[in-house]
Amino acid sequence: MDRGNQIMVQVRESHHYGTFQVHDRIEFDVRVNEFLCVCGPSGCGKTTLLDILSGLMRPTQGQVLIHGDPVNPKKQNISFVFQEPSTLPWLTVWENIAVGLRVKKRPSAEVRRVVDDIIDVVGLRGFEKHYPHQISGGMKQRVAIARAFATDADLVLMDEPFVSLDQPTRERMQREVLDIWSRRKRTIVFVTHNLEEAVFLGDRVVILSAKPARIRADIDIDLSRPRDPLSPEFMALRSRCAALLSELSTQKDTTRSETGTRRAH
Amino acid sequence: MQLRQAMKEEDGERGVTTGVTPPAAEQDPAVRGSKVWSKVRAVAFNLLSLIVVLLIWEVMAERANSPYFPAPLHILAAFVQLLQQGDILGNSLWTHINASVYRLLVGFGLGVALGVPLGLLMGLYKNLYVSMRAVIEPFRFIPPIAWIPLAIIFFSGIGRYAFLIFLGAFFPVFTATLVGVGRVEPIHRKVFQVYGAGKFYILRRVVFPTVLPDILGGMRVGLGTAWMTIVAAELTGGEPIGLGRMMVNYSELLRIPEVVVAMILIGAIGFILNEALLLAEKILFRWRWQVSL
Repeated sequence: MDRGNQIMVQVRESHHYGTFQVHDRIEFDVRVNEFLCVCGPSGCGKTTLLDILSGLMRPTQGQVLIHGDPVNPKKQNISFVFQEPSTLPWLTVWENIAVGLRVKKRPSAEVRRVVDDIIDVVGLRGFEKHYPHQISGGMKQRVAIARAFATDADLVLMDEPFVSLDQPTRERMQREVLDIWSRRKRTIVFVTHNLEEAVFLGDRVVILSAKPARIRADIDIDLSRPRDPLSPEFMALRSRCAALLSELSTQKDTTRSETGTRRAH
Repeated sequence: MQLRQAMKEEDGERGVTTGVTPPAAEQDPAVRGSKVWSKVRAVAFNLLSLIVVLLIWEVMAERANSPYFPAPLHILAAFVQLLQQGDILGNSLWTHINASVYRLLVGFGLGVALGVPLGLLMGLYKNLYVSMRAVIEPFRFIPPIAWIPLAIIFFSGIGRYAFLIFLGAFFPVFTATLVGVGRVEPIHRKVFQVYGAGKFYILRRVVFPTVLPDILGGMRVGLGTAWMTIVAAELTGGEPIGLGRMMVNYSELLRIPEVVVAMILIGAIGFILNEALLLAEKILFRWRWQVSL
C-alpha cells in the first residue's frame, strides 16, 4: 500500500450560524491517499463540513490545516463533487472537465492530455462535444467526477454525489469512483448518509451525531477490496455502524423531537 | 450506441430562439427530414401571404383611385426612381440608408456599451441598484421622443441622433442584464471558487456566459426601440439626410408613394437587423437548446 500513515488534513473546528450551533468540536485527521467517508443523519451539517474543508467557508472556531497550512483554495489543490448537478450548461463535456485545469492555468498541451485521459477513465469517450443537456444525469455526475480528478487535487471532497441517481447507476458509479481512486491515488473525503455506501467505499468511516454535530465514532474498515456487501464481515461492520447511528438517535430521544429521531435512522 | 448517433445528428441541425424545450422526438432522422420541409413550407407561406396582401392592396388602391392611396406598383415605381435618381435634393437612397444605419449603430452601440457594464455592476452589487432605483427606474418611462427638446438644446450633429437612439436602446439592454445576473447559479460560482478562481475570473467565465443570452435578448428589444426612435430623431436634425428625414421631406410635398417607400425600408432594415441578431443567438447559444431558464 502506498497509503502510508502520513497525516494530510487536520480538522479542528466548531461552527455556528448565529446562535445556532452546527458543529461542536469536530476533530479528526485524514491520512494521505485515504478514502474517508463521513456519515451522519440528514441535516447534521455534512455539507457545511465540506464547505469548511474546502476553504469556501471559515469555521467560527478552529481551523482546517492541509499539510500544516490553513486551507486556502488559491494555494492548495482541492476539488469538489457537488450533490446537485454542477456541470456548466454552456460548456461541452470536454470543456467542463477542463475547468479546474484552466483555472489553475495549466499549459494547453497538458490540459488536452489530462482531459483526454480522464475521459476514457470515466467512459465518456464519444461525448466530448456534447452539451450537458444532451446527456443523462448519471453522465453529468461522471463529468463532475472527471473534473474533480483531472486536477491533481491534494484533496477531493465529495458531497453525496450519487444521491440523485437510481440504485443500479449508483452502484456502478461507486465502483467507478473506486476504480478511478485506485488508478489516481487521491485523498478523498466522501460525505453520505448511506451507511452501506460508506462501508463499501471507505478506508475509514467517521460517524457524526445530529445537530450540533459531534464525532460519534471513527471506525477503520479493514476489509479487502473489492468488497462484497453480502459478506458476513461487511454486514457485521455495517450493523455496527448502524447501531452507532441508532444509539445516537435513542440518546437523542431525550432532547429532540420525534421527527428528528426518525430522520436519524 | 443508437442514442449517441441520434445525439450527434441532433448536434448539427437544431436551433432554438426562445430557450423553450423542443420535443425529444426531433432527434429522429425522419422527423428531422420533415423539419427541413417545414422550413421550406414556412418560407413558401410567407411569400404567399405577402403576395396576397399586395394583391388586396392593389385592388383596393385601384378602387380608391386617389393620390393619397398609392398602389404597390406606384410605390415600386417611386422606389426605382429614388434608387436611380435620388431624391428631390439629389441625395441618393443609399445616402439616406447609410446615414440612418450609421446613427442607429452609434446610438445602439452606446446603449449596449453602457447598458451591459452598468447592468452587470448593479446586478452584482444589488445594494447599489436597490439604493438607486428611484433615480434609475423613472427614466425608463420617459419616451425617447420626449427628450427631443432637450436633445436639441444640448447636442448637435450626430450626437443628437445618437443620444435619442441611445435612450431607446439603453434600458432594454440594462434591464435584461440586471435581471440576468440574478440567474447565475451559486453552484456554478462554487465550481470555480473551489479551484481558487478570483472574482474577475468568475465574472468572465460564469456570470458573463450566464447573462449573455439575456443580453442578446435585451439587445433585440433595444434594437427595435432604437430603430423606431430614428424617425423621431431625424425629425429634429437640420441635416437633409436620413430615411426619417427623407420621409418628412416627401410628406411635406404630399408625395405618399415616396413616404411609403421610406416606411417599408425602415421596416425591412429593422427586420434584417433583427434576423442577424437572431442568427447570432442561434450560433452562440447552442448549449441553451433544451435549457429552460
